[in-house]
Amino acid sequence: MAIPGEGRSRVFDEVLLSVENISLSFGGVRALSDISFDIRKGEIRAIIGPNGAGKSSMLNCINGFYHPQQGAITYKGVRRARMRPHEAAAQGIARTFQNIALFKGMSTLDNIMTGRNLRMKSGLFWQALRIGPAAREEIEHRRVVERIIDFLEIQHIRKAPVGQLPYGLQKRVELGRALAAEPELLLLDEPMAGMNLEEKQDMCRFVLDVNDEFGTTICLIEHDMGVVMDISDRVVVLDYGRKIGDGVPDTVKNDKAVIEAYLGVSH
Amino acid sequence: MFYREAGQYKASYGADQAIFPIAQDRFVVLAGMAVAFLVVPFLASEYTYRAVLIPTVILTLAAIGLNVLMGYCGQVSLGSGAFMGVGAYAAFNLAIRLPFLNPLVCILLSGFVAAAIGIAFGIPSLRIKGFYLACATLAAQFFGDWAFLRIKWVTNHTPSGSVNAPPIQMFGYDLSSPTATYLIALTITIVLGLAAKNIVRGHIGRQWMAIRDMDIAAEIIGVRPLFAKLSAFAVSSFLIGVAGAMWAFLYLGSWEPAAFSIDRSFQLMFMVIIGGLGSILGSALGAIFIVLLPIFLNQALPPLGALIGWKISTATVSHFESMIFGALIVFFLVVEPHGLARLWSVAKEKLRLWPFPH
Repeated sequence: MAIPGEGRSRVFDEVLLSVENISLSFGGVRALSDISFDIRKGEIRAIIGPNGAGKSSMLNCINGFYHPQQGAITYKGVRRARMRPHEAAAQGIARTFQNIALFKGMSTLDNIMTGRNLRMKSGLFWQALRIGPAAREEIEHRRVVERIIDFLEIQHIRKAPVGQLPYGLQKRVELGRALAAEPELLLLDEPMAGMNLEEKQDMCRFVLDVNDEFGTTICLIEHDMGVVMDISDRVVVLDYGRKIGDGVPDTVKNDKAVIEAYLGVSH
Repeated sequence: MFYREAGQYKASYGADQAIFPIAQDRFVVLAGMAVAFLVVPFLASEYTYRAVLIPTVILTLAAIGLNVLMGYCGQVSLGSGAFMGVGAYAAFNLAIRLPFLNPLVCILLSGFVAAAIGIAFGIPSLRIKGFYLACATLAAQFFGDWAFLRIKWVTNHTPSGSVNAPPIQMFGYDLSSPTATYLIALTITIVLGLAAKNIVRGHIGRQWMAIRDMDIAAEIIGVRPLFAKLSAFAVSSFLIGVAGAMWAFLYLGSWEPAAFSIDRSFQLMFMVIIGGLGSILGSALGAIFIVLLPIFLNQALPPLGALIGWKISTATVSHFESMIFGALIVFFLVVEPHGLARLWSVAKEKLRLWPFPH
């Protein structure tokens, strides 16, 4: 566990995903211009920046939701062609959203079970009879999902429709759904937005535990600088779609360009 | 007090995931099926069979089919009447072109034909949603209307366009009596209804609901929209197709293309909305409501009119029937937009606590 304010000084070598000279624009608006950075296997990588800096757009490019006009993304050593989000998911990239994107009509359990859909293969016929492979599969995956439910301490809301849950719990269920896919790379878009201190601490603990216990590589966007500096191994800073800083938290914290982007410059 | 699951411990995930995990539910379902199969045949008259029971049972299956698509997968369809027609004409063609097939086998096989057509008309759903998709499925309805009327091969070149179902028999026994017809329809509806229930609570059903609730998030955790939407169209059209074949073979006997017009599509849509989107039980409740209400009004209005000394003519009764029917639907949607199924689950929730609501 990190000492608050000190950052985590771990070293990672193997590059899991690298972003090379990505540019993305919507009509005349340039969301990202010429961004390059990498995410190494096993690390917690934070993307920070003021509002509208292009952080979420960056995540959307990584999981195939947006297609950058220029540049390339290399994942696990393979330069990636244009792909759909579900293909990215099949390769082991999961994510959560800034505005919770749960399946509101379903229970917590079903939401997290849906996270395992890529691993469930039994066909319609067996599903209709719910015997043989379909029944076995359902129980086998339920076991995994129950472990995630235990891990996130949400046993009591297992059967509750997620639409009725408080915000903090919904965020947790959404993390559970992403974890159920057993991703190699987990993208978290503002996992602590709108939470109180206690909920933030819980969420930090979950993020660190996921990283430690499952070895999942995590890339997160967060506005709470205390959190970012505490839990992340390396930080990349965006501003107006350009990269203005990259490095371990201590370096970034003292970088002149970063401070200017956040505090503004006097003219 | 009576509906309470306290003390019913589940020791395995299998038990927790059973189709009816609560003992009282199991009892009610078994009792209901026992009544439907064993008691009703001794009580029902031919009129009850023809006017009430058989149409309710068959339209229940069609409503379940539409609910799979609209309620579970969130894809609006106005083409369900045409898919019933596809089932009906597919069963008819199978029966006359492959005479060695039993008509009941034709009914079940017709579902596959409907599923194939359903997949074809489901392809636009990959690009369009909501009202726009409703328009696209409306095309299926109009195409169906046109094809049943104009493609002579479909009706086996009958000059009038009206076709007859073969007599229903099995192993040499004649099964065309109202009781037998009812039991056949009931069996098929219950078996396919339970199958649909199993699918919607399995991983394919979860994919459908994921697409319905938030398609972007669904795709990002690996649900393939192509597979999820087209499988929903296939299963839905299969069920609607079988229901259409039953409607033709077991209820109508002889029919014209108008039997599967857009009115049927709207009727099914009302059933699903009033019964409850995303509920198999709701589909049945909706079908019962829509089939029974006009009959009830028809029977109840003249005596009610007589009470206040007003003699109502048959024509007036049918006018009032439509007006009250429409008003009730509107009233119902205002007070309970989530349908009869939600009323039922609220009632169950209250029953659990009754008589001590704290």
